[in-house]
Amino acid sequence: MKFMVIVKANKDTEAGVMPSTELLAAMGKFNEEMVKAGVMQAGEGLHPTNKGARVKYAGGQSTVSHGPFSPTGDLVCGFWLIETKSLDEAIGWMKRAPFDGGSEIEIRQVFAAEDFGEALTPELREREERLRAQAAKK
Amino acid sequence: MRFMMLMIPQGYESAPAKLDLDPERVAAMMRYNQALKDAGVLITLEGLHPPATGARVRFDSGLPVVTDGPFTEAKEVIGGFWMIDVASRAEAIAWAKKCPASANEMIEIRQVQEMGDFSEEVQQAAATFEHPQGGWGKALR
Repeated sequence: MKFMVIVKANKDTEAGVMPSTELLAAMGKFNEEMVKAGVMQAGEGLHPTNKGARVKYAGGQSTVSHGPFSPTGDLVCGFWLIETKSLDEAIGWMKRAPFDGGSEIEIRQVFAAEDFGEALTPELREREERLRAQAAKK
Repeated sequence: MRFMMLMIPQGYESAPAKLDLDPERVAAMMRYNQALKDAGVLITLEGLHPPATGARVRFDSGLPVVTDGPFTEAKEVIGGFWMIDVASRAEAIAWAKKCPASANEMIEIRQVQEMGDFSEEVQQAAATFEHPQGGWGKALR
């Protein structure tokens, strides 16, 4: 099962406060452990929302608004993509993440083709697989 | 520049664990994904199961505390994301505007951090961990 681990924004990440050298080193070590265990597929940090934008859709029209956004606790400041056997295993890994106070993460399962049932016709499925293979080659 | 386009569907925070999808909407989204790919900007994309099946881990007490979904206090949750590589923020916004999204959906566009964005000290601290694209994590693609 594939999981996305969403790292929640807080006052510091939204203000662009960078992590300490100690935290960076600890996080690098944690990432390395997950890579060695074959669990980690990707991970990135995101710039604060004051550099971001949002697009809303209504009646065929889209409206753009610029950051920062609120409430802070619902925003994202980074993520990992991991592959584990169960949600419990994903939680087990994340309990070991070297976060200090004030951090929160959310763990969510990633959709696989079989989750879509009949809505994903064989044609669409083949197209999706081709697209992913091509995007991965980039 | 790499950007993440985060899909935020209104009401997804309380969506049931099992989803019913409209095949027509799935097909329209596939055409959009194909357009991103054809333009050479798509890196990856994923959809996320509703938060009802998810978990949260908090670290504010110094020890990890786990809560199972759904998360009653959440006003917004992520339903999925695209990772794209474009020349500017304006180009990322232009792509998001083309998305066949419905009125209850919203896309948030956020730039991905690259090592070059940070001071030399920060870069050195993270140097033990090699990333093919210069970011924080290691993509195993």
